[in-house]
Amino acid sequence: MTNSFAVAFAVARKDLRAEWRTRELVPALAQFVILALVIANFGFQIDSRNAPAIAPGILWLALVFAGLVAFGRAFAAEREQASLEALLMTPASPIAIFAGKALAATLLLVGCEAVLLPALAIFFGTPLSIQVVAAVFVATIGMASLGCLFAAMVARVRARELLLPLLTLPLWIPFIVAGGQAVQVAMGASGSYDQAMALLVDFDILFVVLTSLAARFVLDD
Amino acid sequence: MSILVANGLTQWFGPEVALEAVDLAIDAGEHMAVLGENGAGKTTLLRILATAARPTSGRLQIMGLDALKERRRLRHRIGYVSHAPGLYPALSAVENLEFFCTLQGVNRARARESLDLVGLGSVANRPAGLLSRGMQQRLAIARAILHDPRLLVLDEPDASLGSDAAELLGAMMHGRTVVLATHDQALANRLCQRTLTLRHGRSVGTATRLHVVK
Repeated sequence: MTNSFAVAFAVARKDLRAEWRTRELVPALAQFVILALVIANFGFQIDSRNAPAIAPGILWLALVFAGLVAFGRAFAAEREQASLEALLMTPASPIAIFAGKALAATLLLVGCEAVLLPALAIFFGTPLSIQVVAAVFVATIGMASLGCLFAAMVARVRARELLLPLLTLPLWIPFIVAGGQAVQVAMGASGSYDQAMALLVDFDILFVVLTSLAARFVLDD
Repeated sequence: MSILVANGLTQWFGPEVALEAVDLAIDAGEHMAVLGENGAGKTTLLRILATAARPTSGRLQIMGLDALKERRRLRHRIGYVSHAPGLYPALSAVENLEFFCTLQGVNRARARESLDLVGLGSVANRPAGLLSRGMQQRLAIARAILHDPRLLVLDEPDASLGSDAAELLGAMMHGRTVVLATHDQALANRLCQRTLTLRHGRSVGTATRLHVVK
């Protein structure tokens, strides 16, 4: 019998190894987030007073669109290589396969965030604190589980580039609201950081469980 | 004793019928070729027999199990080679197989053994994307036998294999029950005891090897 943890780990390692060798996604995402910050920097009249209010919005916009690309690629690459069928023809648990894909996509987006967060601090002069990093990371987990589920759903349809944002963005709103609040508070705005983080963790638990249950039906056609 | 029994397998794609009421019974150890023109329904039938697709209607029993309900249990026992090799181009040949060893729950040492069986031992560390089309096809065949399946479902595996296709496929098929789709009637005659011919999704009859030779 196949071990689900071994399967999930093997799937994640396979995706990360392929990305390391081809360098298709992370450099492009890193360029994208830098360009987004440059455009925002020129588009807004930013000074030390309004930067903490504007920067969180820019951060989440860049993150959301980078995430859509990262999670979309998670299953699109399998479809293009015609390897999705071979993957699903094994006796491995669809939930384990999904978990592995989501883990790899999460780590790739974290790699992108490692560029985004210092760049945000440089461009906007906002503090790069552990609270900001923690809020973004915790939100990434739940966003990745939802993004990967919808990426798997649309992988085999024609208008997937259009459908993925349409399905994903509405369900990412809770993460953007709670994550945005946590980052704003971490950057000096008033409010409760702990309350926002608790909400993010609740959303993570809810959506990770729901998407894991749904993955079985999405991947097992 | 029949290892695979299909009754009335029918597949509709929208308004088009791809497979219509196909009945089939294959004995343990038997090799059956599926012949037919392009669009005859060969791939549709093989995908259903490999449990990669569900038919619109009909019944399928493989090794005594209901293949439409027990697909994951059966996948330990079925090896499938589809039209496309479906490999990971950035991974080496052996890494591709080791990955599938984990998914199949078999020892990773099987990867090297399978590569040697299909004659790819010397290119084990070459990225799959840099292998020739024929080598990629061999790699896909190696992946299909990693878990030593009892039933092999091969969809035109001879495509781009080269002159020793029959020898290679014969060695892979030995001791297993096989359903093989091909355009090559001579290959079918050489490797299989029985043929099923499809036309416009319908079975137009089966023949034993002797009848085909005649």
